[in-house]
Amino acid sequence: MANTLRLYLTCIRNTLEAAMCLQNFPCQEVERHNKPEVELKTSPELLLNPVLICRNEAEKCLIETSINSIRISMKVKQADELENILAKKFLRFLSMRAEAFQVLRRKPVQGYDISFLITNYHCEDMHKHKLIDFIVQFMEDIDKEISELKLSVNTRGRLVATEFLKQFI
Amino acid sequence: MILLQSPSRFLLQILQDRVLSGDKGVDIDCHTVEFDDVRYHIQFSMRNPKVMVLSVALPLPPPEAMLYDGLPLGAIEAIKAAYGPVVQILDPPKDGFDLTMKINLTKLPPDEEQRNAVLTQIASVREVVLGAPLKLLLKHLASKTVAPNVDKLVALVHRPNESFFVAPQADKVTVVYPMRFQDSIDIVLATSFLQEFVEARRTSALNNAPSCLWSPVPPLELKGVPSDALNANAGFVTFVVFPRHVEGKKLDKTVWSLLTFHAYVSYHVKCSEGFMHTRMRRRVETLIQALDRAKSDAEKLKKLVNGGSFKRLSLNNDGN
Repeated sequence: MANTLRLYLTCIRNTLEAAMCLQNFPCQEVERHNKPEVELKTSPELLLNPVLICRNEAEKCLIETSINSIRISMKVKQADELENILAKKFLRFLSMRAEAFQVLRRKPVQGYDISFLITNYHCEDMHKHKLIDFIVQFMEDIDKEISELKLSVNTRGRLVATEFLKQFI
Repeated sequence: MILLQSPSRFLLQILQDRVLSGDKGVDIDCHTVEFDDVRYHIQFSMRNPKVMVLSVALPLPPPEAMLYDGLPLGAIEAIKAAYGPVVQILDPPKDGFDLTMKINLTKLPPDEEQRNAVLTQIASVREVVLGAPLKLLLKHLASKTVAPNVDKLVALVHRPNESFFVAPQADKVTVVYPMRFQDSIDIVLATSFLQEFVEARRTSALNNAPSCLWSPVPPLELKGVPSDALNANAGFVTFVVFPRHVEGKKLDKTVWSLLTFHAYVSYHVKCSEGFMHTRMRRRVETLIQALDRAKSDAEKLKKLVNGGSFKRLSLNNDGN
């Protein structure tokens, strides 16, 4: 299990390393504008082929690249209703704090749970490899956090139930 | 605090302060609300500093729950039995309340321990009033009889507009709770909690606890109940209580636990959510730190590269 996760994350890391070569590129239509082309998709020659990396049906990562920006969207595994609700809660919690994260998109791309938008300015401000480290760590942490949250809910439930039933003995 | 306590802390504090404060009387007129919409109105007047007028409002009963003069079955008798001469019931109760009592603090027993016991008992008035019918049914179970003139299925109010059901038999009493929650997250968390109840009951340590079942559809015991009372969104929990669970001193504890089962689950669901938030906040912090690591290094590098003026490289500076 851990091994497939490692492979999945390595694949994402390698793809990101290849895809994240961004350069400043002013808008072609409007003078003195500079927009992330991956969001606007104004001209096809500025876009590259999107890459979809799937671990399984539920877990996938879409990497869309353009000349001056890259968009990474991912879907987190949700095995049951509890995981679904925990994932939703946690990712919403993160999206609401997108300001603090800078590279986080406020709204995920349709069909995905959370998205990042990285522009050439981010790449200038930050180390590229550290940024990729962050994205990969983020993915790892989300999985870990959700399974830990689920475990803690179950442990608490068991404790609460035991305490309640103990009263009758 | 894992288990809910039956005496109201607020009420108990006021009573204890008043008993200890001696003769100096202050006017008190205050309201307080407890979980499940139980409201208290406490009054002390200057003229009679040792007489407290306590009014209690119970949760709004749903149509299927049986009430007698606005109080659950056997409540008046239960109050009289529990408090004796200290408490006098005023009829009719105050406007907007279901029960008004006059508590005469001069009639408390002089012994401190006994007095505290009575005060605690007064502070647990909700247990006495709301638990009265359940206590009646379980008392009969302890003597292995069925209470006379009681239906096969009794609906008892425990939350505003919600009731739980008790099916008394001579050798066992079945208690069914339709579990309702407002929030979709609450529903999911509560459902997983309730399944843990069933799992926990299976462990050998809890073999003697009442058997506990959870099902998403109404169990057979609830046949004939109007469908309005059965629209539970977190399933149904059934406890089967046997005479061994209500022997002697256990009776009061069992009544209180059964009465507040919903509140207990919902309290822990909320605690769990609070805990999750704390965790998530911490996780966000560590993630932001990870992002900052990427940033600060880059900024440091920038400063080094175009740091205003040239810096002469020497052997001493190499380490930096």
